[in-house]
Amino acid sequence: MQREVLATTSALALMIGNAGLAQDAAINYSLFGTPGLLEMPTAQSAPEGTLAGSLAYQDGLFQAKATFQLTPRLSLSAGYAIVDLYDDPTTEIDEGAFERSFDLQYRLNNETAYLPAFAIGIRDAFTPGRFASEYIVASKSIGDDLVVTGGIGWGAMGLRDGFDNPFPGLGDRPVFDDADSEGQLGSDFWFRGDAAAFGGLTYQVNDTWGLVAEYSSIDYPEEPGRPALDAESPFNFGVTYRPRPGMQLSLAALHGSEIALSGSFTLNANDRPSMSGFEKAPAPINARTAAQLREDAWDRGALPPAGLRAATEALLKIEGLTLRGLDVTDTTARVRYSNSRYRSQAQAMGRVARMMTQVMPASVDTFILEPEARGIPLASVTVSRRDLEQLENRPGAAAAVLDRAEFNDAAANKPLQDGPDIPERFSWGLGPYLTIDPFSSDGSIAVDTGLSLSARYVITPQLVVSGAITQSVLPADKDDPSPDTDDIPNVRSDGGAYGDDGVPVLQRLTGAHFGRPATNLYSRITAGYLERMYGGVSTELLWKPVESRLGIGAELNYAVKRDSDMAFGFDEFDYNVVTGHVSAYYDLGNGYHTQLDVGRYLAGDWGATVSVDREYDNGVRVGAYVTQTEISYDDFGDGSYNKGVRISIPRDFLMGTPNRSGYGTTIRTRVGDGGARLNVDGRLYGIVRDAHKSDLTDTWGRFWR
Amino acid sequence: MGAVLEIRHSIRAFWLGLSVFALTACGSLREEGTGAQVTELATSLIIGQTTAPAAPAASVSRDEILNNPGKYMRVNTRDIDRWDTMVQAAQNGSRVTWVDTENNTITLENGVIVATRGLPRDLMGAEVGQVWAAIRAGGGNAQRTHEFLTDGDQISRELLQCRIAQQGADTVQRLGQTLESTRFEEKCEGEGLQLTNIYWVNRSGRLLRSLQAISPDAGYLQLDVF
Repeated sequence: MQREVLATTSALALMIGNAGLAQDAAINYSLFGTPGLLEMPTAQSAPEGTLAGSLAYQDGLFQAKATFQLTPRLSLSAGYAIVDLYDDPTTEIDEGAFERSFDLQYRLNNETAYLPAFAIGIRDAFTPGRFASEYIVASKSIGDDLVVTGGIGWGAMGLRDGFDNPFPGLGDRPVFDDADSEGQLGSDFWFRGDAAAFGGLTYQVNDTWGLVAEYSSIDYPEEPGRPALDAESPFNFGVTYRPRPGMQLSLAALHGSEIALSGSFTLNANDRPSMSGFEKAPAPINARTAAQLREDAWDRGALPPAGLRAATEALLKIEGLTLRGLDVTDTTARVRYSNSRYRSQAQAMGRVARMMTQVMPASVDTFILEPEARGIPLASVTVSRRDLEQLENRPGAAAAVLDRAEFNDAAANKPLQDGPDIPERFSWGLGPYLTIDPFSSDGSIAVDTGLSLSARYVITPQLVVSGAITQSVLPADKDDPSPDTDDIPNVRSDGGAYGDDGVPVLQRLTGAHFGRPATNLYSRITAGYLERMYGGVSTELLWKPVESRLGIGAELNYAVKRDSDMAFGFDEFDYNVVTGHVSAYYDLGNGYHTQLDVGRYLAGDWGATVSVDREYDNGVRVGAYVTQTEISYDDFGDGSYNKGVRISIPRDFLMGTPNRSGYGTTIRTRVGDGGARLNVDGRLYGIVRDAHKSDLTDTWGRFWR
Repeated sequence: MGAVLEIRHSIRAFWLGLSVFALTACGSLREEGTGAQVTELATSLIIGQTTAPAAPAASVSRDEILNNPGKYMRVNTRDIDRWDTMVQAAQNGSRVTWVDTENNTITLENGVIVATRGLPRDLMGAEVGQVWAAIRAGGGNAQRTHEFLTDGDQISRELLQCRIAQQGADTVQRLGQTLESTRFEEKCEGEGLQLTNIYWVNRSGRLLRSLQAISPDAGYLQLDVF
């Protein structure tokens, strides 16, 4: 067919208005993975919601870091370094020591025409803090391309040509004693001891190339525990290359003797690469005619119930949704379905509703939508068919449907007249797996890859037997686990010895039952080989009203430690424990969620875990958690207590195709024996909240997509 | 599905590394990759209700289009220079939704786009009644309300003030035909958006062709109505 595209006319214009003009020049990322020069920070902040991943390498030091701009002024970083350290005596070098780090920076003001931006920051905030430093820094843009920075630093940043602390009242900086427990906040070090000045500039030559020069106040004296790096000269120079937005590659000459390479990759949670998504169109509303609107009864002769069910099931299948039950009267249609395609339950709900307009008898004017997961209904959302017909493609349609929808607990509804059949009792999958654990229990990076065979047998929709067997292709037969050496049992610290014999291992094999014992209550019982290291029984009960921001849960488990060959036995260790928690979950609003767990952990230790997550409506999530139990820091060993930062990004954020999976990682302290928990599949809160009002509202804009 | 989920749960990798790691899997637990097909509606219905028609074949002949006025619409997505043929999928009041061979839809009211689905930044809904009235009146002012889906899955609204001006006689050439028309240009400005649309209207007041803006991410669509 011949092409008849119009000649582009000069009149053709489609522009984003004012919103697009405020685009700042790209922020420079330092070798430490934060906005900065090379080794030194700047007072600049990335746009709110920016998540940056950086890798940097120089001889004797590799760093990987994730930096998140939590608010327009506050940024947090977590990561790790593999660094050569001076031993004691310093003639020996401890090569490749594994160090975690946590940084934060707060910008005090916005830059103005005359006033630079000022920021205060702490780098490597936990003991022993091989790079621990604190700083106050100012940065000023001159024109669009030049940024000049100056500041003073303490700690590692106060070591070169230092001067007396301008805040002498804070006292001397202590020396880290290796006998002290690690992983605690190093607040008794902060802003103490000598300070030193630093400065530098970044110049953006063009869109892709930039230059960086700095005077670094970091020095690496030859002392035990310090990084064994050369720093002959304070001057560092670098070239940056940005081949595309969100990517910065740097080459730097450091201290007159070293070369460093780094790459920083950014994405912004508010700026989805897949825009509003690439999924195809939903079925349009099939609006009833004027005559149909007058019908008040379902003509079962013309539209038999069996045919209606078959059609509904087929229509939902087109959308990747599974019909789990149907109950149709003359005026009301109740549909229960499960969604394994759309991240947004609101989007799945909108698609179900539109499909219902295709087939439901014309007399039906009320749709009751019941999303289900793990065989249990999660919510009951009632919408008016007439609203859908009248609001389709109208401005305000999403808000109006949400406003008029009724949210209820599905358990209160009567059982479905036409319950689900089980089309496929047995299913299986075979695929590769890859695990990279940079924080493994023995302190090294553990990489494993191989094949995973999983299978599932559905006895009833609520009762499912499932398991997974994996075969590693990287057999690394490590030493057998060492016997307990301290007062607490080795509940996690010997995890590295599990499943390393090069033969297939049973990852898990469980029977799990999910239930709805009463209104607002959800239950789970899981029994069998629960996870790599433990078998037993795990039970859980959750109270969570559909419209409530608060959920309360209780979990009680009996766990027995499995043999390290990850076969069926429980003989190698004589360890069993009753563990469990009471949990409170609260949606704080504005994208913040918090959880408090109080209870008994795997080693029998009592304590609590607090976590806070920043969740964007599009599913990007950055959170932190900390666990404190009665186990002393010294017994816990490296890390002092369990804490970590977790990041997850939905697959549809990056790819644009509808999908419920995502990419995630947790940057945490080494897995210790204190504050450890069972890894059980199917914890209730995450499953249940997904279809409750608060989460539905977060993505309600997708209802009509 | 289970396999993929299980793999995901066991992955504790630095996210950068993961984003480039594509997992493949087989077996019935793997995820289905096929997109929804509105056009399969017909095949799955056994109950004789009116249903959406089958999507047009990838290539509809010139004669088929010209011999069936009102049945087909051709659309060119300007940003990617892709032509497709659309057929009607549904009607809701004065609004008609058209579907193309790749299951994208465009909804029109008197030929003016009020919604799209399947584009990178869809027009989720719009109120444009004054635009057609201004064209019928030979020019004038109109207000538009457009809604978009944001990166944060919320709806954002854009109010546009538009001026529609007649630009005189113009010819529309397509499928070997030359048609006489009057050309109208519509310039719109809002707080966050500026756009210009063009319409070619024949003597009986029917829209033959138009070039209409969707969103900065989705660009322009050229519609040819037969």
